[in-house]
Amino acid sequence: MSRPVRPLEGLRIVDLSMGWAGPLATRNLADMGAQVIKVESCERFDWWRSWEATEEWIADNGAEKSPQYLYVNRNKQDITLDLEHPVGRELLLKLVATADALVENYSGGVLPKLKLDYPQLKKVNPELVMVSMPAFGSTGPWSEFRAYGSTVEHSSGLPHLVGDPDQAPTMQHVAFGDAVGGLNGTAAVLTALWHKQRTGEGQFVDLSQVECLFPLAAPGILHQSVHGQTPQRFGNAHPDHAPHGVYPCHGDDAWAVIQVTEETQWLQLQAIIPALLEFGDLDERLAKREVIDACIGAWTQQRTASEVMQTLQAVGVTAAKLNNGQELLDEPHLKDRAYLQWLERDHVGLQPHPSAPFRTAEEPIPITSPAPTLGQHNHAILVDLLGLSTDELQQLEQQGVVGTKPRMPSGKSAT
Amino acid sequence: MTIAPHSDALASQVFCDLTVVDVSGSVATSYASKLFADYGASVINVEPPEGFRTRRLKPMLSSGDSAMHGYLHTNKYSVLASRSLFQDEPVASQADLVIFDPEHLPNTDYLTDIAINTCAVSWYGLTGRYSSFKGSNAAVHALSGLMRGIGTVEGPPVIPPGYQAQMIGGLSAFNGALGHLLAQRLGNLKTPFELDASILEANMCFTDLGAINAYNENPLPPRMGINRFPPTYPLGIWPCKDGWLGVTNLTPGQWKAFCQLLDLAHFADIELFQSSVSRLESSDILEPEILQALARHSAEDLFYRGQAMRIPLARVPTMEELFTVDQYVSRNAFSQVQIGDETFAAPSTPFRLFAAPPHFGGPVAALGAHTQQWDGAP
Repeated sequence: MSRPVRPLEGLRIVDLSMGWAGPLATRNLADMGAQVIKVESCERFDWWRSWEATEEWIADNGAEKSPQYLYVNRNKQDITLDLEHPVGRELLLKLVATADALVENYSGGVLPKLKLDYPQLKKVNPELVMVSMPAFGSTGPWSEFRAYGSTVEHSSGLPHLVGDPDQAPTMQHVAFGDAVGGLNGTAAVLTALWHKQRTGEGQFVDLSQVECLFPLAAPGILHQSVHGQTPQRFGNAHPDHAPHGVYPCHGDDAWAVIQVTEETQWLQLQAIIPALLEFGDLDERLAKREVIDACIGAWTQQRTASEVMQTLQAVGVTAAKLNNGQELLDEPHLKDRAYLQWLERDHVGLQPHPSAPFRTAEEPIPITSPAPTLGQHNHAILVDLLGLSTDELQQLEQQGVVGTKPRMPSGKSAT
Repeated sequence: MTIAPHSDALASQVFCDLTVVDVSGSVATSYASKLFADYGASVINVEPPEGFRTRRLKPMLSSGDSAMHGYLHTNKYSVLASRSLFQDEPVASQADLVIFDPEHLPNTDYLTDIAINTCAVSWYGLTGRYSSFKGSNAAVHALSGLMRGIGTVEGPPVIPPGYQAQMIGGLSAFNGALGHLLAQRLGNLKTPFELDASILEANMCFTDLGAINAYNENPLPPRMGINRFPPTYPLGIWPCKDGWLGVTNLTPGQWKAFCQLLDLAHFADIELFQSSVSRLESSDILEPEILQALARHSAEDLFYRGQAMRIPLARVPTMEELFTVDQYVSRNAFSQVQIGDETFAAPSTPFRLFAAPPHFGGPVAALGAHTQQWDGAP
C-alpha cells in the first residue's frame, strides 16, 4: 500500500448545506482534500449547531460546541454572508464564480427567492456543478415538502420491512435518511465532476434523499414487483437459515448476533454447544428454531458478547457483538485501524473524528483541521480570495452582513 | 479507456471512458460497479462457472433468474472466468478499475503485478484484528452500533433486513474509487491505487455520532423502544384511521403547528413542551392524546394538511403503495429491468445529472453472454 493521498486537492466546493445530509456529503469531499467553503450567516447559521437557540446559548458559545456540527464539518472553511443583503449575495456570486461545485439542501423555494438558483449561478459560472439535495427531489408535486432524515426513512417504505410482523412499521435510526443522503450526495458531486473534467460541462444535479433509500429496500420492492405482494416480515429469524438471531449475553443489555448459513458452520456450532447435537438438518432446524434459539441463548448468557464473538469466529461461525456508542470508542478492531483520529479545537478541546471509510494506506486519510468556528475564514476567503479590502470587510461586519457570532434572527420564529 | 460501449447513446454518458471489472460479485461490489454502469461505464462481470452469488439471491423470477441480481447488474457485460482470461489476455489489464471482495478472491497478486487500480470491498477492511472474521450484513450492523438502538426496550434488538450494510459499503466504495480515479485525472495521483474499503466503517456513518456523544459524556440512553429515539419527540410511525403516519417534531414552531393540526391546542404553548428533549421526557403524558387524535384522521389527510403547515410529516407507504405514490411516479423513481423475456420494476438511480442522465433500468446479461466478445462489441 502507498502513502495516503488527498485525491481532490485543488477542487473548490461551495457548501450551502445545513444539518446532517448535505454537510456529510461535502465533508466526504473535504476529507478527500477538496477545499470546502461553508457559507452560513450570523442569523441563519447551520441549524445543526442547535435547533433551539437562545440568547443564553449564544452567550455560552453554544454554536461552537455542538458535537454533531463538529464532526460533519471538519476539514472545511467557514464564512458568514447575509444572502438577503445585496452585498452578501454579490459576494456569494463572486465565490461561486471561482468554484467547481456547489451543494445545497435548502427547502424548496429559498434559493429562487434569493435569486441564487441554478440559472442565476450558471450566469457567473457556466461550468458550475450544482447538487441540490431536497428530501423528495427537485421535481414533482412534493418537491417543496419538508423532511428530516426520519421523514425520509418514513417515506421510503423501508420500515414496513423491518422487525416483527405484529409490530408497527419499524424505524432503524433517529435520522436514517441523512447519512444515506450524504453518501449519495458525495457520489453525485463526484460523478458530475468527472463529467466536467471530461467535457468541461457543468450541470444541475438533482438528488432525492427518499430515493436514496430505495436501494436499501430493494429486496422488498423487488418482491412486490415480482410476486405482487408485500414480503412477510420475519423479525430476527431468516426464512432460509437457522439458527439466525440476536442472543442475550452476560451483562446488562448485552447481545450477540449469530448466523448459521452453511452446514459447516452448523457442525462447528454443535461442537461448541453440545445441546445442539440433538438437532439435525436445515428442515429440522427451521421447524424447531425457537427451541434451538433457547439452547443457544442459554449458552450465550454465560459469556460476554465479546467472548461469544471470539469463540464462534475462531471456528468460522458468523458472530458479532452489539456495540453501543461507548464501546465504539474502545473497539479494538477500530483502534487497530486508527479509525478515530483526534483533533484539538477551540471551545471543546480534544475530539474524536471518524476516518473516511476507505484508504490507500495502512493509515486512514489524515484529517487535517477541526470544524471551523462561525465565520472563521471570512478574512481568508473574502479578502485574500475575493479581493475585499480589510476596511470593506470591517464595514460589512458593522452592517451585520458578515460576522463571527450568531444572532437571534430579528423577528425570530422557529424554523 | 473503454473496451466496448453498448451503444452509441452510451458513448456520451458520464463514464463512457471508463472500464470497470468486478471479479467477485458480492452485493457490495455489485452495487459499487452498478453506479458506474448506471452512468455508462463498461462494467465487465468476470463470473465463475456457477455465476456470481447475486444470481442466487431472492426474489426469483418465474424463469428462475434472480431479480436482485437483475437490479444490481443492468447494463453490464458477463464474461466467464478462466485462468487464461486473467493471466494471458487479462480483462483486468485493460480496466481502469478492478473491484473485488477479498474473501472470495484471496489471491490478488496478479492485479498488483499488472499495476492496475483496485478497490477491495471487504466486511471489516484489509487490516485489523477482525479482517479475517466472517462477515454479514447483520454482523456489520451489530458491530457498528446501529442495531443496539432498534427494537423493544427489553430486546432483543432488531436485525435490519436485506443487504443494507453492503449497499452502504458499495456506495462508499464507489465514492472512494471515483475520488481516486478523479485524482489521477486531476494529476493529484500519478500511480495506480489499491483502495481498502471497509463495509463496517462505511456503516459507521449512522453511529459515529453515538461514539462522539459518549466521549463528550452525553451517551445515548439505552434502547427506548420501537420507533423511539432521542432527542426527538414526537417521533415515530403511528396508526391513523386508514394507514401509517410518520411524525417528526423538532422545533418549537413545528410542535405548535402539530398541536394545531391535531386539535391539541392545550399542549401548544406549555413552556416545558417547547423543547424536544422535554417532550420526550413527557411522552407518557403526550402520547395517549396524540394517538387518540391521530386515530380520528386519515394519514393521507394529515400528511397533506401538515405539509401545508410546514410540518415534516410522512405517509409510510407499503411496498405496494410505493409504486403508486404521485411523487415517485412523476420522477420515474422505479424503472424496468429486463431479464430474458421478463421485466420487473426496480429502484432508479437516486441522483440525476440533468445534462448527462443515467440509465433508467435496462437489460441484464445472461451468464457468460459476452465471454467470446469481451474485447469487442457485444
